[in-house]
Amino acid sequence: MKRALIILSGFSVVLAMGWNSLNSEATVASSLKELKGDVNRGAYLARASGCIACHTDVVNGGASLAGGPPLKTPFGTFYAPNLTTDTVHGIGGWDVDDFALALRYGQNPKGDSYYPAFPYTFYTKLSDQDIADLWAAFQTVPAVGQSAEEHQLGFPFNQRAGLPVWQALFFSEERFQPDKNKSEKYNRGAYLVEAATHCAACHSERNLFGALDQDNPFTGSKSMLEGEGKVPAITKQALQDKGWTELDLAYALKSGLKHDGDAFGGSMGEVVRDGTSFMQKEDLEAIAHYLMNQ
Amino acid sequence: MFKKSAKYLIAVGLTVSTAVVMAHGGATGIVKERMDAMGDMKDSMKEVSDMFKGKAPYDANKVRAAADVIKGHSGNALTKLFPEGSLQHPTEAKAIIWDEWDRFSKLADHLGTLSEGLANAAENKDTPIEEKGMMGNSSMMGGGNMMGNSSVMGGHMVHTAEEYGKMPVEMVFKMVTDNCSSCHTRFRKEKE
Repeated sequence: MKRALIILSGFSVVLAMGWNSLNSEATVASSLKELKGDVNRGAYLARASGCIACHTDVVNGGASLAGGPPLKTPFGTFYAPNLTTDTVHGIGGWDVDDFALALRYGQNPKGDSYYPAFPYTFYTKLSDQDIADLWAAFQTVPAVGQSAEEHQLGFPFNQRAGLPVWQALFFSEERFQPDKNKSEKYNRGAYLVEAATHCAACHSERNLFGALDQDNPFTGSKSMLEGEGKVPAITKQALQDKGWTELDLAYALKSGLKHDGDAFGGSMGEVVRDGTSFMQKEDLEAIAHYLMNQ
Repeated sequence: MFKKSAKYLIAVGLTVSTAVVMAHGGATGIVKERMDAMGDMKDSMKEVSDMFKGKAPYDANKVRAAADVIKGHSGNALTKLFPEGSLQHPTEAKAIIWDEWDRFSKLADHLGTLSEGLANAAENKDTPIEEKGMMGNSSMMGGGNMMGNSSVMGGHMVHTAEEYGKMPVEMVFKMVTDNCSSCHTRFRKEKE
């Protein structure tokens, strides 16, 4: 109750600040339309980035990308929407700029902001070419004429008007910047983790407003998903203390089997099943290398 | 002198017994029994995975032995360790097990078939494996069997132990892992 009050009062203060001007139109670089997207690279990235995992109701045999199962969190229940080419219920009416606006700015074509349950705070770091590839891949998804359920959130989180304020406080729109002093492998891993696979979305703590703790990434968290328990820390130190090596990590992301012989469960089981198990060995090794050398 | 050794022995004894009790966070009874069974399977899985990681040389006999351990804990041997409502501390089991008992026991039974298949496939070390749909596979985004089918069996077709025995051993091992992970994903609470 106390926590709810704190959240409520905090949110009200933010709302009362009345930053309507923040809801200004975001603009997307026009160069995207000139890039030629590669369907296969895009499909690969859609797997790696969790688009398919979250927007498909796998367990109930739902059509690919036609809308995800309920995500029950302390803020309420989110439903990942239909991303098929259906023009009414999906994103069939979008163009690549609309797509980029969503991934990079967290806004739909009408200018409404998305909840950060959609990890655009990571996808904003995707390169132009990767956006173009993803877009090309999404064009190949058969249309499914079903609408996803509306999010069911409690007050104050159901107040979408607060989202631009949230973005102003906790979101910076930016591309990934490689570290010139690090190896190509490290930077590839960093790019995948920070822009695509968004490991920190679960493995870092969130504050009362659902914003990730950027200063202490990967230190583990209490899962935001109902009934999920704890998400382990994946800092270099934590991984080393538990006896993980780069080889073990890459193998675990491919196979679902941990270094001690246990098989992943919970959300991580789904991440591997629907995402990382499709990834190339070199990419998984890069991810492991980055995490073990942060 | 005697007193000193006695003290030492008592200390060792206490440490050992504490370690035994603490091994599964103080689990007792049926919860401890199943955690021990899972622990056995975990050790067997680790032993085989180390071979595929290149950490240990491949040994078909060890693969068969590990597969036998898993087979011994599968099917009814596994499900009988989950009497309805047995969620005593420090269990990681979820109550949904009993809501979806059919799914749960199918996974347990399939573990038996797969582990038998793993033993049968132990000699198939060098049979090439087809990569899971990756680049160049149009089923990645829409339709296709990787996408919409039931995840109950980890996305694989169900075969007999004899059929699994003709497949590359690493692939069958992956299917065993998928089966474990499917069950953990749905029915186990992650404690860390």
